[in-house]
Amino acid sequence: MSNANTNAAVAASFAKRINLQQYVVYFGFVAIFLFFAIVLKDSGFLTVRNLSNIVLQTAPVTIMAIGLVFVMSAGEIDLSIGSTVGVTALAAAVTINQYGLVAGVLAGLGAGLLIGLINGAMVAYVKLPSFLVTLATLGLLAGVSRSMTDLRSVPVIHETFVGLFGSGSFLGIPSLMWWTAIAVAAGHMIYRETRFGAHVLATGDNARAASVSGINVPRIRLTVLMISGTLAGLAGLLYAGRLQAAKYTLGETDLMTVIAAVIVGGTLLNGGKGSIIGALVGSLMMGMLNNGLILMGLSVSDQMIVRGLIILTAVAVSLREKNR
Amino acid sequence: MLERIIAAAFAGGLIFAAANFANAQTVGPQGEAATPSSSVTLSDADIATLKGKGYKAALLWHTSSDFTNAVSAGAKDEFARGGINIVVTTDAQFDAARQRSDIETALAAKPNVILALPLDPVTSAEAFRQAVKDGTKLVFLSNLPKGYKHGTDYASIVTDDLFQMGKQAADAMAKAIGGKGKVGYIFHDATYYVTNQRDKAFKTTIEKDYPDIKIVAEQGISDPARAEELASAMLLQHPDLDGIYVTWAEPADGVLSALRNAGNPKTKIVTLDLAEPEALDMVKGGNVAALVADKAYELGRAMAAAGMKSLLGQETPPFVVAPALTVTKDNVAQGWKDSLNRNAPQSVLDAAK
Repeated sequence: MSNANTNAAVAASFAKRINLQQYVVYFGFVAIFLFFAIVLKDSGFLTVRNLSNIVLQTAPVTIMAIGLVFVMSAGEIDLSIGSTVGVTALAAAVTINQYGLVAGVLAGLGAGLLIGLINGAMVAYVKLPSFLVTLATLGLLAGVSRSMTDLRSVPVIHETFVGLFGSGSFLGIPSLMWWTAIAVAAGHMIYRETRFGAHVLATGDNARAASVSGINVPRIRLTVLMISGTLAGLAGLLYAGRLQAAKYTLGETDLMTVIAAVIVGGTLLNGGKGSIIGALVGSLMMGMLNNGLILMGLSVSDQMIVRGLIILTAVAVSLREKNR
Repeated sequence: MLERIIAAAFAGGLIFAAANFANAQTVGPQGEAATPSSSVTLSDADIATLKGKGYKAALLWHTSSDFTNAVSAGAKDEFARGGINIVVTTDAQFDAARQRSDIETALAAKPNVILALPLDPVTSAEAFRQAVKDGTKLVFLSNLPKGYKHGTDYASIVTDDLFQMGKQAADAMAKAIGGKGKVGYIFHDATYYVTNQRDKAFKTTIEKDYPDIKIVAEQGISDPARAEELASAMLLQHPDLDGIYVTWAEPADGVLSALRNAGNPKTKIVTLDLAEPEALDMVKGGNVAALVADKAYELGRAMAAAGMKSLLGQETPPFVVAPALTVTKDNVAQGWKDSLNRNAPQSVLDAAK
């Protein structure tokens, strides 16, 4: 009897120590996976091709989510990522077709970096709220991408580019998975193991305290937005590679998915806490949700309603527990 | 309605050799002659062969709207005859990357036939490649992925008869004003394939077929919200207009309002697509004389029929055109059914009694 009590107490203290709430996204992911695996066992959900499709489809969202974890951990937001994707994909496509691979990649990433720099400078040095700055650049960039090629799609015929950023593979693993893995690993390392990562969190937790303790807060803000812009640029390259074409609409519907992935993944909306691995799992969860609901044969409206309810539940659980 | 026009603009990719105005007909992307959708049908023997095969279909649309609902309904009913289940329906929300993901996801359900509106020729070429490789029968709405070959890559393209829509609007206008008079022409001032084709067909038909009708005022419009201002200005300069053609129903709201404000019951309006305010005015004997619509339900039916023919290994026509439909006071209830496969709005039915 007393033995059982002790066991329960040990289990309770163990649960407390590892803070189960932090793992909501992982439980949610597994639960949704199991649900689809059972319900859709005859509908192709569990096939290797379908599961690998989910990872490939979510690669750009995952990569943008990594950038947003940095931004949100620093207490800022970047609403312009979706529009950035269109601009960078078009910049890359047009440049590749004229000047080749290296120039094209640099143009795509450079455009993203530049956008991040502009966002960051407005936030860090002009001292404007990032919500408003990036809301403005969101619209501005949507206009820019529309005017860049006069609404036309640009085909990308460069084989190496398509291999590197789209349909290619290395050691039997598709290139989009490599990019996801590299970005997640690098992001996680920087976020968790470097002084910069710690400074980002400190800034998001309490900017004044961070500043007093000698952290260059404006520079942190500038840097996180530059990271976010550059990663959106990389996402643009991946879209261009995957579709073998660029178009101004690329990425436009991604913003909400990215934000949902990041928040479900355990990053606080107002800074100070976050997780790159959580964002990866959150992004995969969003992709899996889209995939599974489509395969269930739901009508489009029903897909949207169910997806919304699940995201709402996930966000409610993860945020509620953290604020306790 | 603007949504549909934007959809059409996407579809526009401008691959069609456009309506060939010299011959007054709509032709396919590679100059194929149009096959009327009514001739794409399955025999009872075909239906019997298909039944029990357990074939599956996927509908991969570009958006969700009245239009896609009606197309889906037409496809669903036709597929049901052959015992084919629709296992997947998607909405790419005009996002090319999302369309690619939708295709990949749909393929996991192993559909035998896919009906889709490719968002644009360039981005969809790569996106549909896997479906072609998997041997899925593809029937496209309005648009063709670049480089795709009829027979080997896809079964059919099905589209609206845009030229007929514009032409029927011209014919309806002529009828409404007694074959002669002055008309105003309000066209869509943007490079959108669908509206441009329809507008041009209206103008060409008036100029060619109705020598006693003169287009005395032309006005481009890009923002439907400004239609009232534009129409008021047009009426100020030409108070004696017998009729006004409006490029689609949403700006026609503004034109109607301008006529009412001017206390003008005489000038007739002809516009495109079914909309409740215009239909209501029409059945009440107001300014609106006719609405020209496409047969969205028939588009879906013909797509499904072409897909099933392809499953049976039969020859499929490369380019299929669904007819246009002129809706007037007399056929408003039936018109709604024929176009969108649902009842006309209650207000319209009540007023028509």
